Amino acid sequence: MLAHLPRRRAAAALAILGFLVAGCAKNAPQDIFRPAGSNAREIDDGLGGQKYIFILAGVVAAIVIAVVLFIIFKFKDRGQDIPEQTHGNPMLEIGMTILPAIILITVAIPTVAKIFNLAKSDDAACVVNVTGQQWWWEYDYPVQNCGGIEITQPIVTSGEMVIPAGVNVQLRITSRDVIHSYWIPRLNGKRDAVPGSLQPLRMQADQPGIYTGQCTEFCGLSHARMRQAVVALDSDSFATWVANQEEAYTSPTDALALEGEGQFISQCARCHQINGLTNSDGTPVLANPEQNLVSGAAPNLTNLMTRTGFAGFTFDLITDACREKLWNAPSEEFSALYLQGVWMDSPAGAEYPVCFNETALREWLRNAPGMKPMFVDPNNLSSTGGLYRGMPNLGLTEAQIDQLIAYLLERK
Amino acid sequence: MAIIERPSAVPTFAGAGANAPAVVTPTQGLGVFKRPVAASGWKSWVFTVDHKKLGIMYGVVSMFFFLVGGVEALLIRLQLAAPDNTVLSAQVYNEMFTMHATTMVFLFVMPMAAAFANYFLPLQIGARDVAFPRINALGFWLFLFGGIFINTSWVLGGAADGGWFMYSPNSSPLFSPGHGVDFWVLGLQITGIASLVGAINLIVTVLNMRAPGMKLMHMPMFTWMVLVVQFLLAFAMPVITVALFLLGFERNFGATFFNVDAGADPLLWQHLFWIFGHPEVYIIILPSFGIISEVLPVFARKPLFGYKFVVFSGAGIGFLGWGVWAHHMFASGLGPVSVAVFSVATMLIAIPTGVKIVNWTLTLWGGKLWFTTAMKFAIGVIVLFTIGGVTGVTHAVAPSDTQQTDTYHIVGHFHFVIVGGAVMGLFAGLYYWWPKMFGKTLNEKLGGWNFWLMFWGISITFGAMHIVGMQGQPRRMVVWPEKLTGEGFFNLHFWNQVATWGAFTIAVGVAFFIVNVVVTARKKERAPLDPWDARTLEWITASPPKEHNFDVIPTVHALDEFFHRKYEEVEHEDGHVKLMKVKTAEEILAEEEARADAHIHLPSPSYWPIVLAFGLPIIAYGVIYNLILSFVGAAIVLLAGFGWALEPSVAEDSDYDPPAGGDSTKELATIG
Repeated sequence: MLAHLPRRRAAAALAILGFLVAGCAKNAPQDIFRPAGSNAREIDDGLGGQKYIFILAGVVAAIVIAVVLFIIFKFKDRGQDIPEQTHGNPMLEIGMTILPAIILITVAIPTVAKIFNLAKSDDAACVVNVTGQQWWWEYDYPVQNCGGIEITQPIVTSGEMVIPAGVNVQLRITSRDVIHSYWIPRLNGKRDAVPGSLQPLRMQADQPGIYTGQCTEFCGLSHARMRQAVVALDSDSFATWVANQEEAYTSPTDALALEGEGQFISQCARCHQINGLTNSDGTPVLANPEQNLVSGAAPNLTNLMTRTGFAGFTFDLITDACREKLWNAPSEEFSALYLQGVWMDSPAGAEYPVCFNETALREWLRNAPGMKPMFVDPNNLSSTGGLYRGMPNLGLTEAQIDQLIAYLLERK
Repeated sequence: MAIIERPSAVPTFAGAGANAPAVVTPTQGLGVFKRPVAASGWKSWVFTVDHKKLGIMYGVVSMFFFLVGGVEALLIRLQLAAPDNTVLSAQVYNEMFTMHATTMVFLFVMPMAAAFANYFLPLQIGARDVAFPRINALGFWLFLFGGIFINTSWVLGGAADGGWFMYSPNSSPLFSPGHGVDFWVLGLQITGIASLVGAINLIVTVLNMRAPGMKLMHMPMFTWMVLVVQFLLAFAMPVITVALFLLGFERNFGATFFNVDAGADPLLWQHLFWIFGHPEVYIIILPSFGIISEVLPVFARKPLFGYKFVVFSGAGIGFLGWGVWAHHMFASGLGPVSVAVFSVATMLIAIPTGVKIVNWTLTLWGGKLWFTTAMKFAIGVIVLFTIGGVTGVTHAVAPSDTQQTDTYHIVGHFHFVIVGGAVMGLFAGLYYWWPKMFGKTLNEKLGGWNFWLMFWGISITFGAMHIVGMQGQPRRMVVWPEKLTGEGFFNLHFWNQVATWGAFTIAVGVAFFIVNVVVTARKKERAPLDPWDARTLEWITASPPKEHNFDVIPTVHALDEFFHRKYEEVEHEDGHVKLMKVKTAEEILAEEEARADAHIHLPSPSYWPIVLAFGLPIIAYGVIYNLILSFVGAAIVLLAGFGWALEPSVAEDSDYDPPAGGDSTKELATIG
């Protein structure tokens, strides 16, 4: 019994490796063996690559297990004499020391080369500053030419990072509170966001598409609900996206949404910035998150409805069916679908977006800490001097929520 | 302590006169308290300094914490059995995985190895006790009180929630406002003292107290590996002690050692933690390597293949283990030069580790294999540790590691190493040495269930974790969402459930062990003196060993001394030489007893180790709640220190009787 079972294991292990190497379209979106960009491929391919080292590991384990099984059969006690009391064979042992050393050299040299290749930053055609805080990511695009597209004013967004496909984007990662880690498995390995230092990480996606990831350094209560995605768009669509982000603010015309603007200013603007929003007297409404939050930052909501997720990319702004459609869209159709966002599938001139996941956003406005655990109990903030870590329950009425939803729907 | 001869009558020395060697005569005048003298009942355990009793207590308490950590693991697996599950809240989940790791590492595997080291190291080197018996007792009580102290946090506002690695700044009072992290910091300081004093004690014991003729290269492999571990502990514990002090000061007295706002670097904590943390991995695994290096030769009826290679590879792992800590930090932004150096250094460790696996395999080759439960566990270690080892090499490759780190792939990897390697090895030790410790052999049939359920449970649970990790499921996540599960063969839903079923399979396996212990304790049948036809010195005495271990300190002539006393090469009529058993263990024991030492000196029990150890958690509670309490605790420590120093060096002669059944013609004296 001891014998045939490990052999089956070895066979299963090899089968699993085969599967992984071949890749499988239905695998989870964070499958680490499906590189979709040059950096992840550098990690995956060749000697010193993930695939090679996994196969090597599998083969070594299979050999050891096979030898052990053989020994178990061959040398079990069948009443033979007490064996000769041999104490070893130095030549054999030296050989068995040198052999793994040689195998490891074949891995070590390309590994070192890969480490330096992955650390290069001179080929970047775009820069995005990535800042982690409990429990969401902020992206800030400085004024630059990003892969041929002019960004003329800084763009601040969160959750999803939109980049042009096929372009090396240099991320500069840091944190405002604890250590987080930025990871998009199909595009590159992890890089920690350490407060007080800027960590470089290169991202490149071959094709338009959405590549999801999660924070992978334990960062406290809602670590499991701190997620992110990189959205790669074709060049034209990226230009459209940039232009849309830079569009000047216009107050809503719809009465309900206009009331929502007032609600936003009184309830939300303490922490959340909307660029261009003004008070009735024309003065700009400036968010003041450092007075309210430990991290000193809350997501900029200027173009909330251009995103597909919210609250640390944990909840969907689009319905499940629309998300499935978007995530599985072929790369040539993806960019256009993404730009439609919540308006995906809506007929032209429609009043209300078909794909809008209103339920989730309403629930969030009703009681955010009920959906995502956060340190926002007003009676328990002595350790932070009254500052929140996350979004508190604002106690909004249903009427206020209606107004806010109407207003936020226009942040597109 | 050194063994000091107590004169049985009037001391006479050759050339006695003005320059006669000093003879320490026990006096009662030095101390204010008497030594405890109970030879039975609870007092004989609580005040004992006997390494065997302390070893058993270490074992029992570690087993208890193993069950605690196991229940925590099962709760974690229940929570992760389904997407967006709600068995545990996010806060409780974070506390649960922090305490699971802390309990298993510091309160089970390390002290369980200490249990074996305490019990068997003196026996294996032919000593009657360890070098510092009272310090040995202190180590145990510190471990027990430290472990209880940490776990009281569950009922005092919640346990630590920062992960066992407790990265700064998430562990600062701003981000972890409860007292959990304080309990963790202070509790680990207390158990850390236990490890440190234990390390010094065992190093001195091995270096000074080996039986005559036992060269270092005649020592049993378990003793060797324990010695390497004690050196690792002696150098690693101070590092974590410093780190814990820095964190404790940051949390309790407003220090800013890791605070970015004050110009500090949170990565300092990571470096300190892993400079301790990586040697800790070898502290955990090497005792198990030592155990199976005893078990495999015994049941293969062959000496360990390449003894010297195994010794030096073990020492080599010990050295290299200091140069690889930053492989836990490949994603933290060290820069390519550091990453490359640590990546290659980590690969180097595979070489001595591979040497061990090759040597174990070749030990079995050509043997006459007897598949007892202990042997099954030992072979299980070779298989499971190899799997954990080769996935470890995939993490040594830094670019590849940046994909795998902090996913379940890593969790699967190190559980193969720690559960498949270290814990299975400890179970091999339990089955192998049980008859020596308790005079009864554990039931082999229940042992078979115990082994197979654990073997398959480990393979299933941690194998499945490799798969979900490669599908991108990160660790330390209270939930995994439905929308990231994927479809097809590798979907997270199925494999997370598999992992949960596997975890319960392990639990059932462990339950079989407990049943086995109860069944064995109730049976009348005594184990034979040498049930496994063993090879090393601990089997040259009675089972369980007498309080003084050996009636006469054995003189050692070779590696595997006991085997060579039993077996000799005998020439047959047909001329060829054959290895034959020429003596039984009973005959050898009888020979030894016949020439028993006239004076056997054992250390006296002491009140003070437990009192001193008790003061430390009181100091720790004081740091958390009220410093006045700390002064009370400090007073107890101080009092115990004085008591310790001033108590008489031995029990009053008339108070201390030789153990029942002892030979009254032999005088048993005790010294401190």
